[in-house]
Amino acid sequence: MRFKLIACEVLYRELCFCVARSPHQIDIEFLPKGLHDIGCVGMLQRLQSAVDAVDASRYDVLLLGYGLCNNGIAGLRTRSIPIVVPRAHDCMTLFFGAKERYLAHFNANPGTYYLTTGWLERGEATGELHQLSISSQTGIDMTYEQMVEKYGEDNAKFLFEQLGDPTKHYRHMTFIEMGIEPDDSFRAAAERKAAEHHLDFRMVRGDMRLIEQLVNGEWDRRDFLLVQPGERVKVDYTENIIAAERADE
Amino acid sequence: MEDLSKLYDAILVGNFKQAREVTEKALAEKVDPQTLVQKHMIPAMDEVGRRYEANEYFVPELLIAARAMKASLELIRPLLTARGDSFAGRVVIGTVKGDLHDIGKNLVAAMLEGAGFEVIDLGVDVSPEKFTSAIKERKANLVAMSALLTTTMSSMKNIIEAIKAAGLRNQVRVMIGGAPVTDKYAQEIGADGYSSNANGAVALARKLVAA
Repeated sequence: MRFKLIACEVLYRELCFCVARSPHQIDIEFLPKGLHDIGCVGMLQRLQSAVDAVDASRYDVLLLGYGLCNNGIAGLRTRSIPIVVPRAHDCMTLFFGAKERYLAHFNANPGTYYLTTGWLERGEATGELHQLSISSQTGIDMTYEQMVEKYGEDNAKFLFEQLGDPTKHYRHMTFIEMGIEPDDSFRAAAERKAAEHHLDFRMVRGDMRLIEQLVNGEWDRRDFLLVQPGERVKVDYTENIIAAERADE
Repeated sequence: MEDLSKLYDAILVGNFKQAREVTEKALAEKVDPQTLVQKHMIPAMDEVGRRYEANEYFVPELLIAARAMKASLELIRPLLTARGDSFAGRVVIGTVKGDLHDIGKNLVAAMLEGAGFEVIDLGVDVSPEKFTSAIKERKANLVAMSALLTTTMSSMKNIIEAIKAAGLRNQVRVMIGGAPVTDKYAQEIGADGYSSNANGAVALARKLVAA
């Protein structure tokens, strides 16, 4: 079969690896990781434009390399091509290979900031996406120097304490090793980053299973949602995470 | 006689030293503390909220305005308490179990304090048990909780269940917020209200305690 895959660039290396070994022919379109920071309305618009631009006559199925991503895919509709989406809160489910395994790790290790190759090398949004990001729009991404200039030194100190370090309550920085890294340079970079943030460094072995199943066309309904033409994605507040509904409902 | 418009101005621009000085002088001159709060400070915070809604103010401006308000309130509060004046309401606030993101929660706590609520801040990663015992011990009439992740949002439901199980649901109104939270979710889990931002949270809190 021919698939179109629209995915977040944070999954770049993992998806390229699996697409190369897939029995199917797959065209990939990566979108910037910064979509995750611009709020669900903005993210949905961008994603919808990408979905609408797909030539349905050329593909059998459209695959999404996204989780629910802070409701960023809620409302995504398809007119003429079926879409397959992993049932995931976010990309961590894809790196852990199962939503149950991610949730278990998340609950057993409170305060963990996860890193992967994509999170390390495709970290920060720049340009227009940065301008649109929630942190830029709400004014919480200012540097200390900018705060001093705008609010004076005393207020700047107070503000920097409040806003300066989004990881201040985190305890661990955990590198998820997927087994496709070229060498140990990413692990070393993660370790340096943990030291910079004064967090305890850990490693966990990832699992390519879910990513492989996505691109190999093995879509178990417990792990993947099928959205038929005329339907859209909606949030499901159960362990299913997402569901499909008629787009005119 | 101290020029009280300076108190309004100090809060509006987040000058906490000026807010404290003007308050000290006004209290020394026997200005009624309740007048300071009702006629100058709360109107200043309302204007801060209006500017935020109009995109003239952003999160840092809200935080420094609330800080100035707090500096003034710290001087006034003991006087109000001594004469038996009550708060607008008593709210227990925290981010839910598993969630460590507290910028929004801190902002709402500061704004509620500025609006005359007594705020009991339980911090981050707050378990259902911690919420229920704080409600019970501090006799709160409002609970505010937030989550930034869809993974931790489900803790809100557990907390409401725990409040019910502790027999406290009739004592408190529950409001929720955070990036992935929606009105629909608030209804689904039986919360009393949802706000998408800190200014709206103040309006919601006032509405809930008045109802």
